[in-house]
Amino acid sequence: MTPLAMTRLAGRLAGRTAIVTGAGQGVGEGIARRLATEGANVVIAARRVDTGQPVADAIVASGGSAICIKTDVSSRESVQSCVDATVDRFGGLQIMVHNAFRGASPHRLEDADLDRHWSHMSRTGVWGVLFTGQSAWPHLRQSGSAGRFIIVSSPSGIEGSANIPLYSPVKAAERAIAKSLAREWGPVGVTVNCIAPVAASPALLTAFDRAPALKSAIESRTPLGRVGDPDTDIGSVALFLASDDSSYVSGQTIVCDGGSFLGL
Amino acid sequence: MIEGVGALADALRAAQIETDQSTTVVVAGISARAIAFADLTDDDFDAAWEQPMRAAIAAFQSAHQAGHRRIIAIVPTIGMSGAPMLSHAAATSEAIRVMVKSAARQWGVDGMTVNCIAVAPILFGIDPADVGAVSLAPPALAGAGAGNVIDDIVPLIRMVADSDSHHLTGATLTADGGTWMSP
Repeated sequence: MTPLAMTRLAGRLAGRTAIVTGAGQGVGEGIARRLATEGANVVIAARRVDTGQPVADAIVASGGSAICIKTDVSSRESVQSCVDATVDRFGGLQIMVHNAFRGASPHRLEDADLDRHWSHMSRTGVWGVLFTGQSAWPHLRQSGSAGRFIIVSSPSGIEGSANIPLYSPVKAAERAIAKSLAREWGPVGVTVNCIAPVAASPALLTAFDRAPALKSAIESRTPLGRVGDPDTDIGSVALFLASDDSSYVSGQTIVCDGGSFLGL
Repeated sequence: MIEGVGALADALRAAQIETDQSTTVVVAGISARAIAFADLTDDDFDAAWEQPMRAAIAAFQSAHQAGHRRIIAIVPTIGMSGAPMLSHAAATSEAIRVMVKSAARQWGVDGMTVNCIAVAPILFGIDPADVGAVSLAPPALAGAGAGNVIDDIVPLIRMVADSDSHHLTGATLTADGGTWMSP
C-alpha cells in the first residue's frame, strides 16, 4: 500500500480543523459535509443556530466531528469569538472557508439603493473576508503548508451580472483579495483560493420557484446540463483546495459551474 | 466629465479631453498605502474599500442619469494581478472593473457603452516595489511602468469615447506597457 493510499484511508483531512461560514444550508453545508467525510473537525459557523445545529448533528450522527457556533460574519467580534472557541475546542485551525453571504436581490444599477442593495453584500462578502481572514491568520500561519483560506466567490465576479449588478463587484473584490493574499501569505506556505460555483443553493432554488424559466435557462446554457450539487459538485472542489493535493495551487479561482463560463 | 480625486483625476481634468460622445470618466479611488492584510483596521478598510466603492456607484448612476453615452472607468492593474500588502486597494480596483461589465450588460439597451482602462499602478501613486513582479517576463515595452497620462492614457479615452467604438462595451483595455498580459 502506498503512503498516499494509506493517507486517504485515514481521511485526507484527518487531524485538521475547518471553519465553514454560512454552513447552515446550501453550498456551505455541502462543503462542511464533504470536509467532514475526510476526517476534518468542522465548525458550522452559522448566523442561525436553528439551521446550523442540525447540520452539525447530522455530521456527528454519521461518525464525523462537528460543532455549531453562532456567528455573524459582518461582525469582527463575532468572527473572532468563533475562531477563539474553535481553537479552544480543537487545538488549532488549519482551514477557513468563507462562504456566508446575504443581501443579493435583483435590481437596476441606476436605481440601486446603497442601504438596500449594497450594504449587506459588502458587509457579509468583502468585510466578511477581512474578518475571517484576519481572525484565522495567526492559526493558518502556525499551520504552515497545511494552512488554507478558501473564499466562495461567483462566476458573476468575473463576467458581471445583468440581474444583480452590485453582486458582481463584491464577488470580484473577493477574488482580488484572494490573489493578493496568495502573494502575501505564500512565503509561509498558506494558500488562498476561490471557488466560483453555480449550485442548487436555497437562494437559487427560491429564484427557480419565482421564475421557473430560470432553471431551464441555466441548464440550457450549461454544457453539463444541470445545476451543481452543493455537496458532490462544490464540496469536492473545496475538499481538493483544503487538502494537500492542492499544495501548489494558490491565488486561483476554480469556476465550478458545469462548463458555463469558459472565459479564462 | 472626470469623476474622482487624486493626481490622475487632476491630470485628466487638466488635459481637457474632447470627445464626440458625452462621456463620464470615473477614476477609481485607490489607496496607495501598503498595509499587511492582518494589520488593516476597520477605518483603513472603510477608507480603501467602502467609501471609494460608494463613490464609484454614485458616479455611474450620475452618468446614467445625465444620459451620457460613454462611461469609462480607470483602474490600476492590481485588481487583476493581486498585490501583496495592497489587498484593500486590489479589491476596489477589481470591483470597479467588474461593475463595468454589469453596467454594460444593463445599460447597453439604452445605447450606452461602459468600458474600463487598466493602467500601470504607478499612475495611482502605487510604488511598483509594493506590487512586486506580476509576470515571469519583463514588460514588453521599453520604459513600461513609468506611465504617462497624456501620451498613454488620453488617446485611449478618446478612442473608447468615439462614436466609432459603439460596439465596444464591457471591455478592459490594459495599458501598462505589456506588463500584465493575462488572460
